Amino acid sequence: MENLIETFHIDIKLLIAQVINFAIVFSVLYFFALKPLLKVMRDRTKKIEKSIDDAQKIEKKLSRTDEEYDKAIGKAKKEANIIMEKANIMAEEKRQDLIKKAKNEIGQIINKEKEQMQVEKAKTLKEIKKETADLVVVSLEKILEEKVDNKKDSELIRRMVKK
Amino acid sequence: MSIGYWNLYLVCVLCLVSYYLIIMSHKDENHNLVETHEEIVHEHTLFAEPIFNLGDFYVTNSLMNSWLVVLIVLIISLFLKSRIKAIPGKIQNMLEMIIEKFLEIFDSVTASRKRSLKFFPLVFSFFIFILLSNWMGLLPGVGSVGQVVSEHGHKAFVPYFRGGTADLNTTLALAIIGVVASHIFGVVAIGLWNYFNKFINIKAFLEIPKKIMKDPAIIIVNPIKAFVGLIEIIGEFAKVASLSFRLFGNIFAGEVLLASMSAILAFGLPIPFMFLEIIVGLIQALIFAMLILAYLTMNTSAEEH
Repeated sequence: MENLIETFHIDIKLLIAQVINFAIVFSVLYFFALKPLLKVMRDRTKKIEKSIDDAQKIEKKLSRTDEEYDKAIGKAKKEANIIMEKANIMAEEKRQDLIKKAKNEIGQIINKEKEQMQVEKAKTLKEIKKETADLVVVSLEKILEEKVDNKKDSELIRRMVKK
Repeated sequence: MSIGYWNLYLVCVLCLVSYYLIIMSHKDENHNLVETHEEIVHEHTLFAEPIFNLGDFYVTNSLMNSWLVVLIVLIISLFLKSRIKAIPGKIQNMLEMIIEKFLEIFDSVTASRKRSLKFFPLVFSFFIFILLSNWMGLLPGVGSVGQVVSEHGHKAFVPYFRGGTADLNTTLALAIIGVVASHIFGVVAIGLWNYFNKFINIKAFLEIPKKIMKDPAIIIVNPIKAFVGLIEIIGEFAKVASLSFRLFGNIFAGEVLLASMSAILAFGLPIPFMFLEIIVGLIQALIFAMLILAYLTMNTSAEEH
């Protein structure tokens, strides 16, 4: 041991000085370089991990939203179809209804008109008859220049008209 | 790794051989010098030489170099401190890449990222300090600029700087810090009583009466365990010795190798050896750091025999 110390000049003071040197190097490296650097690296790793996680979550959410959207659209389409069908049926019904009503009304109007025409016709005919009779009477009177009594006259007229 | 070790081994042998050759030739010269008292001797000593003294504290050239390393680390760290941002620049990117690679290597030893991160600052500090010390010893001017002192009647050249790790004091200090730190981490991780029983295994003896009915072999196994624990105490000293001498030997041998190559032909010839020494410096720093990491890992894991 003595020999070793003699050969290599091992000096406890030098040893301590070198220990202090290393302690300085260690603390300086640790506090000024490695600690902040490792912290930054760790933070970044966490951030990236979080971002990837978030991205996955967003993707999942997006796909779910897509599905929901598709479902909603499908549902809406179905509903719209049903409504359209219903509306079509209703429209058809209404149309038929309207047509029927219109037909009815037209029929009614025609009937009324016919009746009215009948009445008018009868009236006109009556009037014509009367006028004709009168005319005949007048003309006869003129021809005969003589007036038969009223009763005979009208009887005569009726007979003549019937002929 | 085994190839690397072999290369190192060969280099060491080569260095030692050349070192002895130089010593022998110098000795011859010294004899001449003692007679002539004129020529200046530049001898590669095994120890760092004192440059000046503060009271009775002799500052050696290796200590000067270590201070330089501390200064460099201080400047770089302070420079970095203001530049660390969430979005990394070029320098930070490079550093982060290095740190990531280191953590990957650490994971293969510690088998858990959490523990790697816990040990990382200490082990990385070892790596940086040793790497810079090793490489500082290779800089031009280190080992070649110095003063001439006369001692024992002849003049000797003493360089102002000598690689920090080319002094056993430095490597010994580093090894002691590493091993002591591994013990502290061990005590913190598995508790004082458990840790104490790793070395002086009282638990093994206490277990014997409890388990002897179930397993009679325990009466032989547990005393062996206790004996292994005692051997581990010697192992701890061996760790310090192997760590410090490995580093010191490699770096010192490298310096001697370079000096002897320069002595043969100063122009061109030392260049490949310079590259070799750069690699050796890196590898030795890595080996030291990884061994400290292995000790830390071993001591913080509970006994699994």
